[in-house]
Amino acid sequence: MLAFTWARRRRYGNAKIRGFHACPVPGLDTDCLLTKTSLCCKLVFMKDDISLATSTPGRRAASYWFLDGLPDIVLGGTLFVFAALGLGWCIRRSASATRLDFLFLAAGFCLFFWKGRALVEFCKSRLTYPRTGYVQPPREIEKCPAVMPLSLGPSLPPDENVTRFERREVLIVFWWCYLIAVGLYPWQTAYLPWTMPVLAAALYAANRKSENPFRWWSALLLALTGPAMAWLDIPPRLQPPALPLLAGAWLMAQGALTLLRYLRANPYPRGAEGVRA
Amino acid sequence: MTSRIEEISQLDRMIHEPARLAIMLILGGVGEADFLYLQREGGFTQGNLSGHLAKLEEAGYIAIAKKFKGKMPLTVCSLTGRGKMAFAAYSNRMLGLLQPGRSRRP
Repeated sequence: MLAFTWARRRRYGNAKIRGFHACPVPGLDTDCLLTKTSLCCKLVFMKDDISLATSTPGRRAASYWFLDGLPDIVLGGTLFVFAALGLGWCIRRSASATRLDFLFLAAGFCLFFWKGRALVEFCKSRLTYPRTGYVQPPREIEKCPAVMPLSLGPSLPPDENVTRFERREVLIVFWWCYLIAVGLYPWQTAYLPWTMPVLAAALYAANRKSENPFRWWSALLLALTGPAMAWLDIPPRLQPPALPLLAGAWLMAQGALTLLRYLRANPYPRGAEGVRA
Repeated sequence: MTSRIEEISQLDRMIHEPARLAIMLILGGVGEADFLYLQREGGFTQGNLSGHLAKLEEAGYIAIAKKFKGKMPLTVCSLTGRGKMAFAAYSNRMLGLLQPGRSRRP
């Protein structure tokens, strides 16, 4: 344990123990023949290890679903394609025609909710399962039936292979699209580009401790696309479909980078298992 | 021999072996997984994993099925009802041994 603690200290430096001054258990440092700083440092690292939930088999399986970036690619691709159709329709229509571009987005979301998971599984069966194996896809947390407790730890949940992907990511994007397409547009188009930072902040905050976290600089890039659009002076009638188009492209880029990293790290196997029939 | 030592000798040896315990633990948390996933998660060799899976299947603790995902053949393993009960009983007994007075119901 001590060797592991020291290895972690070498890796992370003293960044994690800043601000930790008082020894939490008086007398423990003298009992263990350690300096106060050393003991506090060890306790902080040990506490950190205990709170690491991703090491349990079920949580690892839930993270495995996002390892290749395919869920992001499918969600982003759907958003991108249907927003592009809406944008095309906006460009071709006359200025006085009724706004129907949000119907394309609605159709896209319907398709995603209906066939999104099947499409991800189809892609995974060709890319992921032959390389790193198949594990039962995670279920949404509210759909889990009561199951028998199987883990050895007393405080672990009974079935851990669950996720909140739809609530964390898909629903945030869905309500954001609703906000820009139906809620905000009729009143004030000048506010539209400023919804992009809202989306970036919501996605970053909601996924920060999930199986599929986003990097802060990546979320910052997404947030800056909105003000950049205002600066470029895009016509207001093109903004409602252009914003989901950008968000879709960002999600696809996220997924594509993850997929690239995954494919590089896991080449196609040549063994008997996972070979095409 | 004290009662706790006696209880240790009554542990289910089919599950108590570390590799098989790891397999049961993984399958208990994920529902079902294929051979390749188990091999990577547990750090087993093919022969080693194959042998342990055969023993667990023989005991009726896991079910092994050949499935297709698209055109990909997969050897999918999952815990049977009997396996779940045996593992719950094992973990209950183990918890009782390690933390007396804190055993859980299966």
